[in-house]
Amino acid sequence: MTFRLTCPVCGKRDVYEFTFGGQERGPRPAQEGLSAEEHFRWVQFRLIPGGCETREEGASRADVREPLQEEWWYHGQGCGVWFTTTRDPMTNREVEGGGGG
Amino acid sequence: MADAGRLPEGRLPPGPTCRVDFSRPLAFTFLGRPMTGFAGDTVASALYAAGVRVFSRSLKYHRPRGLYSMDGESSNTFMAIDGVPNECAETTALRAGMSVAAQNVRGDPRTDRFAFIDRFDRLMPAGFYYRLFHRPYRLWPLFQNGLRRMAGTGVLDPRRNYHRDGVRAERHLNAEVAVVGGGAAGMSAALAAAESGLRVCLFERRPWLGGHLAWRVRDFEGEPLHHRAGALAARVRATGNVRVFTSSPVTGVWGDNLVTGFTIGARDDPFRECHWECRAGTVVVASGCMDRPLVFNHNDRPGVMQAGTAWRLARMYAVRPGGAAVFSVGDDMSLEAAVDLADLGVEVRGVADAREAGRQDPGLVASLAERDIPVLSGWAASRAMGRRRVKACELRPLRGGGSRRFRCDLLVANGGMQPRIGVLATVKAKLAYCADTHSYQPEELPEGVFVAGSMTGLRDPRSIEASGRLAGHRAAVSCRGGAATTAVDAASAVRRDAGSAADGLPGPVSGCDIRHGPALGRGAKAFVDLDEDGTYKNVVESAAQGFDVPELAKRFGGFGLGPGQYRVTGQNLAMIMADLRGDPVETATPTTVRPPLVPPSLATLAGPGHDVHKRTPLHGELAGWGAVFRRAGEWERARYFSEDHSCRDEILNVRRNVGILDSSPLGKFRIHGPDALKALQRVYVSDMREARPGRCKYSAMCNDMGQLVDDGLVVGEGDHDYYFTTSSGRAGSTVEWFRYHTRHDGWDYNLVNLTDVLGSVNVAGPNARRVLERVTTDDVSNEAFPYLGCRHITVGDGVGARCLRLGFVGELSFELHVPSSYCRYVWALLVEAGADFGIQPFGLEAQYCLRAEKGHVIIGAESEARVTLTDIGMGWLWDREDTVSKKVGAPALRACENQPGRMKLVGFRVDERSGSLRDGAVVVGRAERGVGGMAGDGEIAGYVCTTRRSDVLGWQYGMALVHEGVAVHGGRLLIRQEELPGRPESCTATVVPPPFYDPEGTKLRS
Ligand SMILES: [Zn+2]
Repeated sequence: MTFRLTCPVCGKRDVYEFTFGGQERGPRPAQEGLSAEEHFRWVQFRLIPGGCETREEGASRADVREPLQEEWWYHGQGCGVWFTTTRDPMTNREVEGGGGG
Repeated sequence: MADAGRLPEGRLPPGPTCRVDFSRPLAFTFLGRPMTGFAGDTVASALYAAGVRVFSRSLKYHRPRGLYSMDGESSNTFMAIDGVPNECAETTALRAGMSVAAQNVRGDPRTDRFAFIDRFDRLMPAGFYYRLFHRPYRLWPLFQNGLRRMAGTGVLDPRRNYHRDGVRAERHLNAEVAVVGGGAAGMSAALAAAESGLRVCLFERRPWLGGHLAWRVRDFEGEPLHHRAGALAARVRATGNVRVFTSSPVTGVWGDNLVTGFTIGARDDPFRECHWECRAGTVVVASGCMDRPLVFNHNDRPGVMQAGTAWRLARMYAVRPGGAAVFSVGDDMSLEAAVDLADLGVEVRGVADAREAGRQDPGLVASLAERDIPVLSGWAASRAMGRRRVKACELRPLRGGGSRRFRCDLLVANGGMQPRIGVLATVKAKLAYCADTHSYQPEELPEGVFVAGSMTGLRDPRSIEASGRLAGHRAAVSCRGGAATTAVDAASAVRRDAGSAADGLPGPVSGCDIRHGPALGRGAKAFVDLDEDGTYKNVVESAAQGFDVPELAKRFGGFGLGPGQYRVTGQNLAMIMADLRGDPVETATPTTVRPPLVPPSLATLAGPGHDVHKRTPLHGELAGWGAVFRRAGEWERARYFSEDHSCRDEILNVRRNVGILDSSPLGKFRIHGPDALKALQRVYVSDMREARPGRCKYSAMCNDMGQLVDDGLVVGEGDHDYYFTTSSGRAGSTVEWFRYHTRHDGWDYNLVNLTDVLGSVNVAGPNARRVLERVTTDDVSNEAFPYLGCRHITVGDGVGARCLRLGFVGELSFELHVPSSYCRYVWALLVEAGADFGIQPFGLEAQYCLRAEKGHVIIGAESEARVTLTDIGMGWLWDREDTVSKKVGAPALRACENQPGRMKLVGFRVDERSGSLRDGAVVVGRAERGVGGMAGDGEIAGYVCTTRRSDVLGWQYGMALVHEGVAVHGGRLLIRQEELPGRPESCTATVVPPPFYDPEGTKLRS
């Protein structure tokens, strides 16, 4: 698997230069009153683009697929910035102008 | 060798397309016999010229196999060359002094000892390994050994270092347009793309450009075809922005148009093989076509070969492919080969063409007639005769009827041409059967990928070139690197070329859809797959067992698993399967093509093997003391200072006198800015407000699962300004970690990695203060500079040092952090000052033991993914009152702290003297006295992380991660370790709380 990503500082670079930081899943939840269940849901659970969880009876995969995913990437072999980009994980292609975060 | 006018044995007069230089003979050996080839030969062409016909024995049946292709389409000519197995003789250039041997044979491939196996084919149906040898299970090793001996593919010499054979290089290329294939289409595409000023890389697997035009001498538009190829090649080579890579097979094209492949070094190249990756904007695939094998009985006999093989032997290597030839083909190019070989003096006795009369090029049919060569339209070969090589063949009409037999030593056979779809398969183009060309063609191409040339079914050179130009222009337009104006220029060029392409040029030829030769019978000796000995009969068996699509047949019968992959097998298997199922051929698709499309050697993939590592500023000093260096992460570090790897003397000297350690790889950072404290509070588990100037705060970092990821000291430097250390292994990812866990907060702080800027020297032992007092005038007394203090002191002639008073090894200890360039000076100063106090350097292993005696944890040694900070006894670091900083790991620590059934880190003391207990031994439960000695309760309860025998303590101590049920102080553990298979050793140990040494901590506070 190989593709390129757009670093907001350095531009389009090989994916080898980056570290994946997971899906954007919102800021760290406040600790006061946070149940273990909620915490682990935030840490471990991922939205699967096109996944079965949201699939309704009779719907085809293509119908329910929300193809795009907002992701964090770290340009470790470059400028050292964390940024978000929007990608289609089925094709590994960034959405045009995805590296703006 | 060759006198003027006298040709070497087996050779033809060199023609205009000959690549062999008869004036440069090369001596080599085959099975120890001296032979001679010439510069320009491949190993296979030289062997063929020398009369070798049987090159190997097949994998399963040990059938004789010969030269079938010239591009490594099968394993027929895999040989051991200079001791390296599985080298492809077809594509390996001959060099002087080569030693060539056959493989998968006992002795000479002409008389193989295992040849009798061929007669037992009925005992070996498709999938027979799986169906016959799995029961009884205990006999499998016997079968396995026997099969391995008989069904081998080369032998490796375990004593030899194959990696060192020649330089392996690596290149990273950039191009706007990459072109795969250096034939007429590829070259035209490269030239067209280059017109826009774009950078173009052109990759050709063979050593020369031109594709099939390179060896064709037929007149076309007033000049021989090879002149046309030569003129194109000259233009390509003269174009500055086209880089040409010959002898450079492409191994695949990947996401975002990354083209990978390798270049086989020529004599004057500085490498033997060079792996390269080319990140291209767009890709033109013009990988051409090859003969589709004809499936008929004994179609694997040496002497049966592709039209391209016979033709290239004659035209490029001046080798006589045979004395008397018969053709059974299905393509005009093969007819052209028949005419050409006849003109070169090969007696062509007959040409069967699987196509019906009227579908051939009338000019070629006339040429064959002029030469009195009978053409049998609608006929094909039904069988090859001869035991070790072809002696005759039988042709039959496809619609049924009587046979004709011809004596011949060369049988050129194909079912027409098929495109080389490998590159398209790796780039995930959707392929579908095209009923017009009877071949698999891309139905849908990924973004930025274009196809051109004969693989699309075109045969007319003008059409091929026009398709190349069109693809080249399209690639240029599509390429994002092209400026707007050039895109407009290129777009108009596309329109121009599209116009001319349609301007009366011939389109794709209709091809040939023959599935197999006539009168096939069971097809027990009609091979669909040469590498895996897969026959037509095996395909039928596979389908009968329910494995009736190519992907299943591949698993069941091994079709297309071998080095040839889809090339020999793919299209035929798909078509035959569809027929067997009674479905239209459109329903079948070839099996997935596995990369690499052409195999580079593993040494090439491993790369040049540069050992990239860092050395500390004190490397030379340590070497002077006789340090034994070992890699630790990215650093080369002093592990021992003697051959005694227990480091007894180094340890005792720290405990009794004073030791000096180069701790420079320690991660060292500065964090400053208005939100620096917030960031520290987020990533460290403790209350970091306690990190004040002059005072070190020891703390740890956890991940979101509460696992320990790092520990270190943080000290205040001023307002919103802190200095901190990390473990050596974490220095590289600390900035990433801080930034990641504060990514939503927009905090204002800066992080500076000082790891390489600062070196550090640790002085530890009862005499440490006395040594330090001799090199500084600052007050370092216990009152002025207590345990866990941090002072800026001046040493020697005014070197400023940040001095931290620590206790990692359990003794009075000072660590001096100084600029790297001053390290050697400070080291020399301390060594000189310590001479009277018995100062000696100590290494990583001694430090490892010293801290273990003290019960200090090292991440990865005593912590792992299943345990949290609390489980390893460091929960006291966690500031559980803090709920506002959102500390990383805090919710997990809270959730896990009272969870039952967790593993815990315990210290233990081995009960009896047991010198052989080592790290990694298994704790098998609580020891209980039973019949015949001690016994555990049988359950695996954990493992030993670290254990050492201590001369200071006088006993063997250790730390183990065990289930909490056995983690009871005073309890006894039963530990087992398998020294030799089936001979386990066991011992018992008593759980004792660490630290084992100086439990009150008086030494490090003294
Ligand atoms: Zn960057």
